[in-house]
Amino acid sequence: MLLLPSLLLLTAIIAYPILDTFVTAFFKTDGSGRRVAFVGLDHFRAMAADPVFRQILGRTALWTALSVTLKTFFGLLTAMLLFTGLPGMKVARLLVILPWAFSLPIAAILWRWIYDAQMGMLNLLLTSIGLTGQTWLAEPGLAFGATLTVSVWTGVPFMALVFLAGLQAIPEELYEAGRIDGAGRWQEFVSLTLPLLKPTFVVATILSAVWTFNSFVLVHVITGGGPLNSTDILVTFLYKNAFEWLRFGQASAMALVTFLILLAFSLVYVRLYYREEMLAQ
Amino acid sequence: MKLMRVGSIYMLLGLILFGLLFPFYVMLITSLKPMSEVFSIPPTWLPAKPSLHSYVEVWQAVPLGRFFWNSLVIATGASILTLACAIPAGYALARYRFPGRSLVLYTILVTQMFSPVVVIITLFKVLSAYKLLNTYAALIVTNAAFALAFSLWMLTGFFQSVPKEVEEAAQLDGCTTVQTMLKILVPLAAPGVATTVVYTFILAWNEFIFALTFISSTRMQPLTLGLASFIGRFTIEWNLLMAGSLLATVPVIVLFLLVEKHLVTGLSAGALKS
Repeated sequence: MLLLPSLLLLTAIIAYPILDTFVTAFFKTDGSGRRVAFVGLDHFRAMAADPVFRQILGRTALWTALSVTLKTFFGLLTAMLLFTGLPGMKVARLLVILPWAFSLPIAAILWRWIYDAQMGMLNLLLTSIGLTGQTWLAEPGLAFGATLTVSVWTGVPFMALVFLAGLQAIPEELYEAGRIDGAGRWQEFVSLTLPLLKPTFVVATILSAVWTFNSFVLVHVITGGGPLNSTDILVTFLYKNAFEWLRFGQASAMALVTFLILLAFSLVYVRLYYREEMLAQ
Repeated sequence: MKLMRVGSIYMLLGLILFGLLFPFYVMLITSLKPMSEVFSIPPTWLPAKPSLHSYVEVWQAVPLGRFFWNSLVIATGASILTLACAIPAGYALARYRFPGRSLVLYTILVTQMFSPVVVIITLFKVLSAYKLLNTYAALIVTNAAFALAFSLWMLTGFFQSVPKEVEEAAQLDGCTTVQTMLKILVPLAAPGVATTVVYTFILAWNEFIFALTFISSTRMQPLTLGLASFIGRFTIEWNLLMAGSLLATVPVIVLFLLVEKHLVTGLSAGALKS
């Protein structure tokens, strides 16, 4: 009874649409998304045969892997710096949070302006330190790198805060014991800090991978997937199929693939979470 | 040696902070420039004649007031709906052991990871069939659903931390379950409730993809969509856009900083426990 409102909401907005999308994935649709004819696995065959789709799948993997690696690296680095507890670190921590508090669509708009080839301030910064400016969003490789940078920028704060909380949770006595044994700073980091941070590390990277995989807003607003699909990732390509090209059946098949990938991430996450829970009891 | 180490820590941190904060500098500076200076090539580091003109003009250039109102209605509505669903469910999950309890909890955890893109095609079809496109309801309900997972986990945790005896005492005094929930548990779990509200509010305030898909009329656009539509114009008035963005962001940043500690632990539940 008490669960009813929640279950209703989740069923209506999440469970039912997922099921309906699954069914649609096997149908031909008209321009407004209604199912007209059963086509079996046609959409999936079309995807498998489409070089553009395969390219996008590969790019999505690269996008997620690179972005999460960089977020983790800079996040951990930032957390370690903040953890030193030197004067001013409280203020620094507050400043580090800011990009996370920022609305993603607005952040994307802002970065689009920063990347502007002629009037943008990134090129101004580069020329003033003796480098040359680039047309960031006009060339495929650069546009991908530029969008990836924004993704990292938005993700570092969460990583830094989680790692900082993880570091703060390590009991001081463990370090003291290490010092008596004469462990050096680097040795202490590798053999003590890193293993103790492992649970934090695993959960934070999985969460971050899911969010990064889903970065519709950044790609849509900064490059629109362009130039020529060169920055499209799975979610933006799916969206284009549905709402620009009105290929709802094909898009539903892609949504099914997306769902399965996300489900795999979630299952790993739940499994790990469950294990932690068991260990804690 | 020690001095060198401290020096390099500050230098590294300085570099990182520069990278993280540079966009904020650009936003602020651009919003203080007049149109003519925004379009100067090369751009300038500081406005020659800083002025707050853009902050006035942006309200006339686009229906910014209307956008603010729309965002406010949607975010408030979503927060209320989420609470209405999450308080009773959180209570049930915290207090009763019933078959399927952990299944419910983990299913909810999994929904937190789904992309809106997976459900958006069907939602669009359904909403257009029921003539609900371009309504607040469409965005309130979808945002609430996507905020529910976090809210439920958050509230379940907080309710569990309230001792059972408090509740039993209330029931001895003749409170019904609903009364106990609203008069005893909710006030005691106030930080959790506040975090839930703020989380949902921010999520809905910043939401983009549902708004992009369900809203086509300018009058119904929330801030994020309204500001993004600047980009489609023939000349993008960046000074106005940056002023509008700053105005749209400041309230959220303030809210965010209030609950940020709970957000970190809530979102990475499990990561920090052991």
